[in-house]
Amino acid sequence: MNVKTWLSERADAPPAFINEAKRIVGKDNVSAKECDLIAYSLDYWMYGVFLSQYGSLPSLPSVVISPRNREEIQAILKCANKYKVQITPFGGGSGVLGGAIPLKGSAILNLQRMNRFISLDEKSLVAEFESGIIGANLELELNHRGYSMGSIPQSLYCSTLGGWISTRAVGQFSTKYGKIEDMVLGMEVVLPDGSLLDIKPVPRRSTGPSLKDLFLGGEGTLGIVTKAVVSVHPVPALSSRQSFAFPSTEMALEAVRKTLRADARPAVVRIFDELEAERYFGTKKVTVIFISEGEPDFVRPESSLISRIAEKHGGSPQGENPVEIWLKKRFDIGLGPTIMQQGGIVDTIEVVSLHKDAANLYKDMMTSMRAVTGSLLVSGHFSHFYREGACLYITFVGFPTDPYRYYEDTWKAAMEATLRNNGSISHHHGIGMWRMRFMEQELGKEGVELLRRIKSAFDPNGILNRGKLVENAR
Amino acid sequence: MSKMRDKKELQRVTNCALCADMCKYSCPTYLAAGNETISPQKIARLIVYEDKGFIEDRRGFSDVMFQSCMCGACKRHCIYSDYDLRKFIQMGRSKAFKEGLLPDETKKRVETFTKYGNPQGERQLIQKGTGSVGYFVSCSAYKDEKLLKAMDRILSASKGKVQQFGGADICCGAPLYYAGDIKEFRKVAKKLKGEIEARGLEKVITMCPNCLKMMKEAYPEAGVKLNVQLAHTSEFLASLLDEGKIRVRKAKGTATYHDPCILANDMNITEAPRRILTALGYKINEPVYTRDHTHCCGAPPGARLGFSKLADQVKSMRISELKQTGADVYVSSCPSCKAVLSDMAVKDIAELISEHMIHGK
Repeated sequence: MNVKTWLSERADAPPAFINEAKRIVGKDNVSAKECDLIAYSLDYWMYGVFLSQYGSLPSLPSVVISPRNREEIQAILKCANKYKVQITPFGGGSGVLGGAIPLKGSAILNLQRMNRFISLDEKSLVAEFESGIIGANLELELNHRGYSMGSIPQSLYCSTLGGWISTRAVGQFSTKYGKIEDMVLGMEVVLPDGSLLDIKPVPRRSTGPSLKDLFLGGEGTLGIVTKAVVSVHPVPALSSRQSFAFPSTEMALEAVRKTLRADARPAVVRIFDELEAERYFGTKKVTVIFISEGEPDFVRPESSLISRIAEKHGGSPQGENPVEIWLKKRFDIGLGPTIMQQGGIVDTIEVVSLHKDAANLYKDMMTSMRAVTGSLLVSGHFSHFYREGACLYITFVGFPTDPYRYYEDTWKAAMEATLRNNGSISHHHGIGMWRMRFMEQELGKEGVELLRRIKSAFDPNGILNRGKLVENAR
Repeated sequence: MSKMRDKKELQRVTNCALCADMCKYSCPTYLAAGNETISPQKIARLIVYEDKGFIEDRRGFSDVMFQSCMCGACKRHCIYSDYDLRKFIQMGRSKAFKEGLLPDETKKRVETFTKYGNPQGERQLIQKGTGSVGYFVSCSAYKDEKLLKAMDRILSASKGKVQQFGGADICCGAPLYYAGDIKEFRKVAKKLKGEIEARGLEKVITMCPNCLKMMKEAYPEAGVKLNVQLAHTSEFLASLLDEGKIRVRKAKGTATYHDPCILANDMNITEAPRRILTALGYKINEPVYTRDHTHCCGAPPGARLGFSKLADQVKSMRISELKQTGADVYVSSCPSCKAVLSDMAVKDIAELISEHMIHGK
């Protein structure tokens, strides 16, 4: 093989394991062909993507196994335990922290054949899907029937429902519809030993700690989600779009905070700093966009409320146009590959804090990240809001002489600024492989140790997605 | 070191290779097989790797190139304007052809074509009628008796001067194009140009969307320009209805229209067939994947997947999507789609018109 691996060496899986896997899923669904190994070597972790253009991949799997159903997954995991073969689950491959990279020659468990819409319960407003369904396909199925899940991440067209659950993901319309943990009512999970956990869908339960939450953010280390029941909403009858320009990010933050405090729940609220406003809208003014949607009787007064509060706090109305521009451009990631081809590093980092820390966190992150040698651009927007705080989403670009050093230093600067300002190191991208070095600062030694113990209890042989989420977990 | 001569082209396919696969949700082969390797971005990565010499398994690479159904869904939903991954897949296929690495099923069809000048074998010449408008009987329509009769009835009732021609060794050459044999494809294109000119045609109507695509897009790329107007039968038939040249009795019931991939994605023809269904009195039940989200049936004649198992997976997915509408009638406007979806008795829109036609005043 002419491709190079730079993070961990490929290793062959035991032939007996491969033979059993072929018996379980069929020989056509087990592959160690070069093209398949290359295709499943990497997710959308940007440093890995950057190096991939030079034929350098972080790691290659030993083999790719593609089951069709839960029973096959159960049998494969039992077999993996028997032969002590490590397994890396692979959903849409859109994760940005290396969570799906098959380290140390582990076998890929490809979940993309499990991509069906199962049912819609219009009375209860829930729908069931297999976990390998891509977000856009999920939405097409629901929209056709007059509904939406309301989970619209930037990766909508390439990420899966299972991936959203495993990384604790969030969509752009989250302020109204909630985050993935608010949307998932039930799920079916294959545990690392091959046994099955069926968490039935109910709006809430008081039956001890929530088992469901172990897998919402479990990153494929504690089990493999095979199906999920999610809440859905009727496609909104009205969508009201408005935007405002503010003299500063602080003033914009204050206006949005007051809006949420007044119980407005627009689906979309985003504050773009000067650089991002220029990139998106061609204005150098901090810009806030709002989308309120739902029944007209609610939407119209909410829009009026937002407008009144925004203007009272220094916002000048900019009309619908910036919102339309954002709606048009929000999935366009085309610049990243162009920058990478010119030797540039580009990535995004999302963190979260309380309102009291949000402005300081923004300033500190900007200053710290811009100070890294090789930095060309650091810009930010606040992308998700709560009554209590907000998610800050930073984009950075650099043209360094030493790409790895720049990448590592920029991440370090961002994470340390976040922790200094009482923030959390991830809002919705998760931890994967790359961010786990900061987990001890985030959770404390005790927190990390607790996660290790949970992992050991679930997966004593260390079969599932080893080397992700917490360091040195079995 | 890249072997691709045009560096801008290399940059374009590398952009695709470094993208997040934002179009893969639309790719029918990826969705049917659930296989990351044949998602558009991974195909692009493999093309770049092959170009730069990172791929050792040349047979494996060629096989991937022949697993695309070339339906154009990725182009339609691409974040880059004016980019079409199929151009690079075609380059991969051409290399495979030159190196003798065609999949067995593709190889057999090329051999048949070389022997008979068409992908089906020995055939009779079709030549009927006179006039400056030509109805080109595609290979896929040639073997469909019902369809041939339906078009005969319509053309005769409309009293227009239309020549029907096809069969024998008259073919658009799509099977060669998709097999990567561009040299022979060019010869076939020139031959068809000659056939059209010999008949004095000013306008050519085709029923097969791939024939239309070849004549409109692939011929000029191969340096063959047809000096005629080109149209799809659905547009022609819709205009006959609009102009009152054929009269139909109204139907009752529901119809689901399957958009042929090339017709929707490349030719942008989605409304003419629906206009016909509405004119015939049907209420249209749309499937989830329709118009610009349509899915390929798995085996368009020229682009037929090199692997029949994969083609069957794509077909099964499409049948299941269409059946969900529960319509009374299923209709398409591509003879290949009709043949491939025969398990669910899909009719061509021409047959449906023929069934509803009222003769006389």
